Amino acid sequence: MFKQNRKTENDLKKNVENDSRTEPATVSKTTAGDSFSHGAIHSSEGEKTIIGEKITIEGSIRGTGNLVIEGTMKGIVDMEKHNFAVGSKGRVEGEIRAHDVAISGLLHGKVRALGKVEITKDADFYGEIKANSISIEDGAYFKGQIELDREPHVKKMPAVKQMTETESKRSQVASITPVEAGKGK
Amino acid sequence: MDTIIDRAPIKLPPESNCIEYTSKILQLLAGTFEKRRDSLVLDVGPVCNENIEFFARRVKRLYVCDIFARLDRAHRKGLKPDYVWRHLDYAPRSFDAINLWDLLEHLDDHDAKRLAEICCDMLKPNGLLSATAFEKKAAPREISSFVTGEAFRLSLRPQPRLDLPWYYRHNRALISLLTPLSVVKIFGSRIGIREFLFRHE
Repeated sequence: MFKQNRKTENDLKKNVENDSRTEPATVSKTTAGDSFSHGAIHSSEGEKTIIGEKITIEGSIRGTGNLVIEGTMKGIVDMEKHNFAVGSKGRVEGEIRAHDVAISGLLHGKVRALGKVEITKDADFYGEIKANSISIEDGAYFKGQIELDREPHVKKMPAVKQMTETESKRSQVASITPVEAGKGK
Repeated sequence: MDTIIDRAPIKLPPESNCIEYTSKILQLLAGTFEKRRDSLVLDVGPVCNENIEFFARRVKRLYVCDIFARLDRAHRKGLKPDYVWRHLDYAPRSFDAINLWDLLEHLDDHDAKRLAEICCDMLKPNGLLSATAFEKKAAPREISSFVTGEAFRLSLRPQPRLDLPWYYRHNRALISLLTPLSVVKIFGSRIGIREFLFRHE
């Protein structure tokens, strides 16, 4: 459905095929408790790796630790049991699979989170999200499709009936409150 | 067309932001989504976590494209809303429902009609379109998003970052903008908020 998304997927495939050309990246490691700078994100144990502002990565990343991208990344991130974050200066294009995902920078692509996706007001997101839960701050620049786990119990509510044209017109007149009808709109 | 254009938002006492009412349109939509668990729905913003939670838990897939933010950017750059419509690049007959909230109130007649055409194109046959409008007296002094709460209660949350013009319309004027769609329900609340539900035949 997204025209631009198809383009992204193609780019992504190319990037994965060209993995061998991936340039080596310099990463810094800290402990998870330090500053997984995205507040409410699920705190899993282990180290956190930060890809710095001046680093660009193309290819795929797999790992057993939390990852923060402050630089630029194109490709696939697969870290099912750990957390992934795009920092405020980070730019990511690709496919992310992680436990919790926090986005404060730019992310164009697909996100599959087993836990929560958190998008802050400074984020620019374009793509697809599948998650258990989501939190988006007012002000986030967002275009995407969202699939969340369904509510187990939803109260029975009256649905909109399939109506004929005549019924529709009748309903329209009937549902305008007397005050509005009196205004002769 | 009997449209009154208010460029400057109308001043209201601060407590206007505490407006809260039970949305009948939301109840109807929720009932419809419950019957059809495969619904695809488009929300045009402003991005609001509560609304996203509300719809995404009830439909197969929720599409969110914050047109308010895009209009605001275009407005600040002096670009016409036409520039924004390219973001609504979804395939024809994609959606079972579209929530416009009060977006039409921030568009002049020309742009509102253009948006209506785009929505008609994106809606599936029998697809539903919901819209909200303020009575003139109740128009808030700043743009707010409608926030879905418990038991279909809607409240307003100010969005001070958004700076968009305001166009007040009577029911008839608003309905005529959406001529290709037929009216299903109109609800008027005592606190001055009007809700509309249209169907694409």
